[in-house]
Amino acid sequence: MKRSAAEIISEYGPFAGVESVHGVTYDGTHVWFASGDKLNAVDPTSGKVARSINVAAHAGTAFDGRHLFQIAEDRIQKIDAATGQVLTTIPAPGGGGDSGLAWAEGSLWVGQYRERKIHQVDPETGTVLRTIESKRFVTGVTWVDGELWHGTLENDESDVRRIDPETGKVLEQLDLPAGTVVTGLESDGGDRFFCGGGSHGNVKAIRRPRRGTRR
Amino acid sequence: MESLITAAARALDAGDPLGALNRVALRNDAPSLALRGIAMAQLGDLARAKTLLRSAARAFGPKEAVARARCVVAEAEIALVSRDLNWPPKTLAAARATLERHGDLVNAAHAGHIEARRLLLVGRLDEAELTLAGLGTAPLPPASQVVRELVVAGIAIRRLRTKDARTALDRAAKAARLAGIPALSAEVDSASLILDTPTARLIARGSEHPLLLGEVEKLATSAALVVDTFHHSVRRQGVVVSLGTRPVLFALARILAQAWPADVSRHALIAGAFRARHADESHRARLRVEIGRLRTQLKTLADVSATKQGFVLAPRKTRDVLVLARPVEEKHAALLAFLSDGEPWSSSALALALGMSPRTVQRALDELAKSNKVQSFGHGRARRWMTPPVPGFPTGLLLPGPLLKT
Repeated sequence: MKRSAAEIISEYGPFAGVESVHGVTYDGTHVWFASGDKLNAVDPTSGKVARSINVAAHAGTAFDGRHLFQIAEDRIQKIDAATGQVLTTIPAPGGGGDSGLAWAEGSLWVGQYRERKIHQVDPETGTVLRTIESKRFVTGVTWVDGELWHGTLENDESDVRRIDPETGKVLEQLDLPAGTVVTGLESDGGDRFFCGGGSHGNVKAIRRPRRGTRR
Repeated sequence: MESLITAAARALDAGDPLGALNRVALRNDAPSLALRGIAMAQLGDLARAKTLLRSAARAFGPKEAVARARCVVAEAEIALVSRDLNWPPKTLAAARATLERHGDLVNAAHAGHIEARRLLLVGRLDEAELTLAGLGTAPLPPASQVVRELVVAGIAIRRLRTKDARTALDRAAKAARLAGIPALSAEVDSASLILDTPTARLIARGSEHPLLLGEVEKLATSAALVVDTFHHSVRRQGVVVSLGTRPVLFALARILAQAWPADVSRHALIAGAFRARHADESHRARLRVEIGRLRTQLKTLADVSATKQGFVLAPRKTRDVLVLARPVEEKHAALLAFLSDGEPWSSSALALALGMSPRTVQRALDELAKSNKVQSFGHGRARRWMTPPVPGFPTGLLLPGPLLKT
């Protein structure tokens, strides 16, 4: 396992009226984050909130290209990103113990915080297709280039780690500085991760390490 | 972190404990237990709240020291509000240290406020002030500011510094409006009542009238000779003669002061100070001795001169004699003063606060209960005593808001 300190590239926020950041996603232009009763789109160049959708937003956030997915209480809402309307909801696999959310390869990936699990879920029905075990409490979840990454948070210590999607084995770990937390994780598809900062009310961008040889 | 926990914590934050319970009522994981505990406390079921918070503290794993410490803080606040003064302060101090170490300064401050409130309640004002001063200057959310200012005002009131109390209460009111929690505003209002309700009686030249706290404070700088029944002392400005351990001398001083500038007959003095119905020669001899002792004690402030019928007080360097008395004089005034905060007290907590033996407190309570001045509920160790609600300080349950945030 490779372990290193996370390199923080930039930091957005705190934002007016935002107490906590619960989930993060990226639509190619804007970074979206969940702040309890709102989804907010931040322009990563200016750091300003460009747009907000009034919708219950208590945990993870994901984007499939057209829709935003947002966990609220014990369900996952599918939201039209253009109009902000909630189209459908499915039950969340953790029954309310759910944390992070990602969209990849036609499935939703849902972190279950205290159970230290990541579920692969059918986005139409909510059926759990398979479950990956982690070693620490799971916060944000994201996929990039076939790599599964997730954020952890236990006793106010956070890291971002890449795990083997088959075995749950930790392959790589980026430690966050003491006192910062990760409560949401999304890759921009390139060399950046966006991380939610919990009750610090901010979003950080950290660098995804480059590897000489890709497996 | 967890979706439903976030939703329930938001409901609690917005002052909706039922909304919070709706979301976690059937869950038994650690954060749910903690949330249920706080919701139950806000709904007034303190016994259930305590059990739930204990289970929550146990259920949080060894790596979740912060979450555990927050549960301890909440339990300490419940103990304070239920006047369980035997709850170990060391446990609270340890929890506060853990929170500080992990950078949770808001909840650490909350823990400090609870400690200061406890010290204020048992009258250890210097220590309460030190505790507040030790909390640092990190910016606090409005709800915590309210608590802090209430403690500051409470200390100022006990110290008779009305102006400081009023400024603190103004700041508290402002913060309560910012917090938007109606219960907090109500708490500040009821605390402010203390400054606008007579807290004492002034007896001078045979007449009496009620005094506000601010007027009591002014007496400290007035040139008059004050016989103070709150502190069992006789004073003029900075010169104080304490008669706390000499009840007979104090009784004599008070009777003489109340009659001033007239004199008081030997008979009246004997009846008032010795509680003797018929005065015989031995009483007269004792009176002479006690007046001699009083004269020695008061030397710097006043003389006690003999008259044809009895004795008269002759104040030095002033032409005014005042008696400061409680609004209503009761045999068990000190005990009633504690109970008048409107909270349920156990007799053992009262004994601890008053520095009296539990048995003496119990006897006094039984006596007061017979005349309906206090009431009790519960049985055995769970028995609690109360007076009908009078504005108290500080009473409400304000449990840490950000208990479960990350």
